[in-house]
Amino acid sequence: MANLDPRTRLAFLAAAVGAVLVTRRPETLAAESLLLLGGVVLLKADRRLGHLRHLFGPMIALVFVTGLVFFDLQTALTLAARLFNLLAVSFVCFQTIDPEEMAGALQKLGIPFGLVFILSAGLRYVPLIGRKIRNILDAQQARGIDLRPRIKNISNFAALLTPLVVQAFVLSDELALAMESRGFGCKNRSSRRTYSLRPIDYILMGASLGGLCLLAWWERG
Amino acid sequence: MAAYVELNRVSYRYPGATRTLKEIDLTIPAGESTAVFGASGSGKSTLAYLFNGLIPHFFGGLLEGTVVVAGNPTRNTMVSELFSHVGLVLQNTDAQLFNATVEDDVAFGLESLGYPAIDIRKRTHRISDALGITHLLHRSPETLSGGEKRLAAIATVLCLDPALLVLDEPFAGLDHRGTRIVSDLLRQIQRHGKNLILIEHRTKPFFTEADRCIIIDQGAVSFDGKPAEASGVLLDSHLMPRYPERSIRTRSRSDEPVLVIKDLSCRIEGRDVLNDISLSLTRGEAVAIVGENGAGKTTLIKHFNGLYQPTTGEVSFKGRCIRSLHPSARAVAVGVCFQNPNDQFFEADVRKEILAGPKRLGKYDRKWFEQICDTLCLHLLLDRSPYRLSEGEKRRVALASILVMRPEVLVLDEPTAGQDGRFKEILVHICGSISAMGTAMVVVTHDLDFARASADRWVVMHAGRIAGDGAPEEMRQKHLSILDNATDRPPRSVAGCV
Repeated sequence: MANLDPRTRLAFLAAAVGAVLVTRRPETLAAESLLLLGGVVLLKADRRLGHLRHLFGPMIALVFVTGLVFFDLQTALTLAARLFNLLAVSFVCFQTIDPEEMAGALQKLGIPFGLVFILSAGLRYVPLIGRKIRNILDAQQARGIDLRPRIKNISNFAALLTPLVVQAFVLSDELALAMESRGFGCKNRSSRRTYSLRPIDYILMGASLGGLCLLAWWERG
Repeated sequence: MAAYVELNRVSYRYPGATRTLKEIDLTIPAGESTAVFGASGSGKSTLAYLFNGLIPHFFGGLLEGTVVVAGNPTRNTMVSELFSHVGLVLQNTDAQLFNATVEDDVAFGLESLGYPAIDIRKRTHRISDALGITHLLHRSPETLSGGEKRLAAIATVLCLDPALLVLDEPFAGLDHRGTRIVSDLLRQIQRHGKNLILIEHRTKPFFTEADRCIIIDQGAVSFDGKPAEASGVLLDSHLMPRYPERSIRTRSRSDEPVLVIKDLSCRIEGRDVLNDISLSLTRGEAVAIVGENGAGKTTLIKHFNGLYQPTTGEVSFKGRCIRSLHPSARAVAVGVCFQNPNDQFFEADVRKEILAGPKRLGKYDRKWFEQICDTLCLHLLLDRSPYRLSEGEKRRVALASILVMRPEVLVLDEPTAGQDGRFKEILVHICGSISAMGTAMVVVTHDLDFARASADRWVVMHAGRIAGDGAPEEMRQKHLSILDNATDRPPRSVAGCV
């Protein structure tokens, strides 16, 4: 998988997402879930997926409960399974394609550099924002402003959000300065990464597109 | 020698602001290294933005006079044409390193210039090898130490081989080890004939090696000459702090400890960050915690007010476990003022900012508030927005917001970072006043001169342990190798890369 051109891996991702979205039958959804879990185990990423249960779990539970309240049990299960499959597909995708490869692949596909940069900058700065949140929480708690997640502390959350938003704006200003100082807006920019599609890439891309079309036809039947 | 940079009667005003630079005349010959000093808000960074065309093309505003760099008038030359001649390294390395990996960051400028992939890879690896950061290339900048980030940031512009390198506060936030590594690198760059312009608050590193020293005061050049002639001016203008002699207060046996740390160990994400830490603080004592980056100083102080729970051991305040106190009670027991005052500000004016904690806890004491404002000279700032203050003013407001809670122990985390000499002198005086009120003071700092001026006792930390605890001079001499990091390896030669 790692030897494939990142555009091929992106094509797999797109086909996998498409497959989840066109699937209607519960048994097919269940088969997809098993396949994805198998992929996670093969990639030896089951522990990492386990760590994400605090994030994924509540989302899936919310969708299930909403489906149960407003529709029926079968719909609720279908919606929850579909969401799980989408999350698992994106998880598997990020285990097999790193952000720089994804950015390079999107550029090669003709996506403007500015848009691609938004993706890679987002990935770069999410952990930084996480660090800033922790620093702000510590600083405010040290002066007696309680920001533990309690109902009675809701009014205190301005003490987290305001410095975070202000610092995000300041950082974005400085970031713009740094980017401009290194020729961000230059035309004819090159790339240090070179990608070339081999026959196997074309075959696999064709196979994933074909598989998606077959599944769509099967599900319609 | 031919001029590489010429500023002719340059004045500049940011949009909607008063003049930041006033009538600057400056000629910098090729190959010269210049150290630029000035108080916070004096216009040093604004001067830096002139060299690569950010002023006027990025900032707008009103630029008067002419700026010529490498024969190009910057008014008519875009940043995209100048950046290969002038490499600007910003103070904030988180902004400078904006890609997902260090390798992407180093390559970015070369990609902007349209270099072929093979040349980009060659140059990237050559410069990384020269700076000793090859092992960092595949890492996210978020995972790097302060010194590593600074080297990576310099690599991002050095790979373009610019004739002029402008560095805005390159030593900010670095410990002695990081400072030495960056200084050594800059000396090598200087020896290879590049123009260097170093903008700094810290006057010690690199000062004597520079060919020239410029002091900016309120937007104008107040001194321009040899570094040897600048020392007097730096002292008179308090850019180099002049600390008073400190009469050391020694602990007596009758001093009751206020805060006791016993056998504290802390393990974070499988790593032993602190090991067997034991120490105590008494009323009115002033202690400095010193040591290199990564020694565990900030992790330790986060245990003082119960932010962190020890893996083993205990932190007790007046005999009670600090974690058994309600969070609001902990803030009254142990106040911690962290390094970045911007992490605290969320109110519209300084008065509300300072009183945010006490009003929430129903502990507003008007007399005490007035006393704090007197001690920290805040009366004229009370109606101003905290976001619009200078860095020194912000620091004082942040300190006031902690002091107003009347903590019995006050901890300051790197209070002198990014501050000029004037503020450091004021802070020493403030620390003395606070100790005189009976508050136990703890200062975490890399600045050993400040530590000597403000503290009676040093706690030297190394690799998560206390290596020494005693009088400043004794600790300085006993733990020279830790404090000066004498065992470091500077970057390899940058010959062939610059």
